[in-house]
Amino acid sequence: MTIGISIALILSSMLMILLVLLHKGKGGGLSDLFGGGFSSSFGGSSVVERNLDRLTIITGVVWFVCIIALGLLLKP
Amino acid sequence: MLTAFTRAFRTPDLRKKLLFTLGIIALFRLGSVLPTPGVHTENIALCLKDAQAGSSSNIYGMVQLFSGGALLKLSVFALGIMPYITASIILQLLVVVIPRLEALKKEGQAGQSKITQYTRYLTVGLAILQSTAFIALARSGQLFPGCQQDVLLDKDNVFSIVTMVLTMTAGTAVVMWLGEIITDRGVGNGMSILIFTQVIAVFPAELLRIAQTKGYFVFAVVMAVGIAMIALVVMVEQAQRRIPVQYAKRMVGRRMYGGTSTYIPLKVNQAGIIPVIFASSLLYLPQLVTTLFSNTQEEPNAIVQWINQNLVTGDTPVYMATFFLLIVFFTYFYVSITFNPVEVADNMKKYGGFIPGIRPGRPTAEYLSYVLSRLTAPGSLYLGLISMVPIVALALVGASQNFPFGGTSILIMVGVGLDTVKQIESQLQQRNYEGFLK
Repeated sequence: MTIGISIALILSSMLMILLVLLHKGKGGGLSDLFGGGFSSSFGGSSVVERNLDRLTIITGVVWFVCIIALGLLLKP
Repeated sequence: MLTAFTRAFRTPDLRKKLLFTLGIIALFRLGSVLPTPGVHTENIALCLKDAQAGSSSNIYGMVQLFSGGALLKLSVFALGIMPYITASIILQLLVVVIPRLEALKKEGQAGQSKITQYTRYLTVGLAILQSTAFIALARSGQLFPGCQQDVLLDKDNVFSIVTMVLTMTAGTAVVMWLGEIITDRGVGNGMSILIFTQVIAVFPAELLRIAQTKGYFVFAVVMAVGIAMIALVVMVEQAQRRIPVQYAKRMVGRRMYGGTSTYIPLKVNQAGIIPVIFASSLLYLPQLVTTLFSNTQEEPNAIVQWINQNLVTGDTPVYMATFFLLIVFFTYFYVSITFNPVEVADNMKKYGGFIPGIRPGRPTAEYLSYVLSRLTAPGSLYLGLISMVPIVALALVGASQNFPFGGTSILIMVGVGLDTVKQIESQLQQRNYEGFLK
């Protein structure tokens, strides 16, 4: 049981990293951190981006559930 | 102030954005307290208590501050935004060094987004490195020196260790994404809001601890000093020199353009908080290296000993001097990156603008850089002095490194707070034509 959830957690972690990296980075890094300037948010997101969002949220939920389940199982 | 907030909540669009931001912040805090599976929570709590009781200054001061206390709890978001910040710093520095990156930066929007993408890749790389490092430290018991408890449940099981490292790496990626969606769909800049959250999160606990350990008189003094400092920081952050610019009248077709007079605002502290973050991240490196490569059995060599003596705790003269000089240097460095007088002068010339009394073109650029360097001198000194405050406080009241009114926390709080409120206000002004209604 523990092994199974661990494997699920590893897989979902990897998928999560991949999905986040697939997103287009918003904001210009550190340059507009801490009062650098104005953010330009023109236009909506594309279809690809929206589907990616949906997929990321689903993976995130699975990842979160895995963490909580494993944490409860491993409780001393 | 309060009416602005009620008005913000009355605007449906803005209300949605504010609630979205708050929701993300709640999620972020939840992840910061949720322990990574495989961590022995009770033992960690014991060790944390020990570490706080002994007034030895925290080794991981800065990192702990940015992670809002999540780091030593080894929670899912333990690394927080630190890898992203480090990656951004590295790339900022590399832009100056590597010609290809410099070309990308000059390309404008497209190039900038490419650099952001590189930053993201580097963030994940750094996250893998740092999570491995911290899990290794926890495994060998060096995370809490002097605490005998085992902080991991099953420290010889490679499989569970790999799971933990991957979970924490994924956590960092999630934090990065949360920051980005705040920037995209919420209010303010996501990354800075997340840092702000973490700084605020440790605030009440630290204040309470001062009140409990030092008595209420010291607490009152600390509060008074803190409020005075916030006022001072707000004053300097808002301070700017306005360089007047006059635009010539032009006829384009049948329309008349220009003829207005505006100003270029040059802030005293143009660089914001970034120099402090740069400097403390750099100063944090040598001690990270020594903890990673030090062997408990072997006698440490001279360099390691020197670093341990001078660069680990914040109250040695060497540390203070280095910190101060680094901040002054990085202030100038960062201002020179972000504000290019030649470019500004060229743009002004293109649109028929000039500073009264100074010829457009090269003399204007020279004038701007002269004013800027004179402004940056007090700005950098101010940043350096403010960040010395926690070290002084350490000596006076014996507070820990993440002293609630420490320079960096105040700078972050005020900087991010002012910026976010300004953004909310500008969004309000887009909708409520205040000038007509009042």
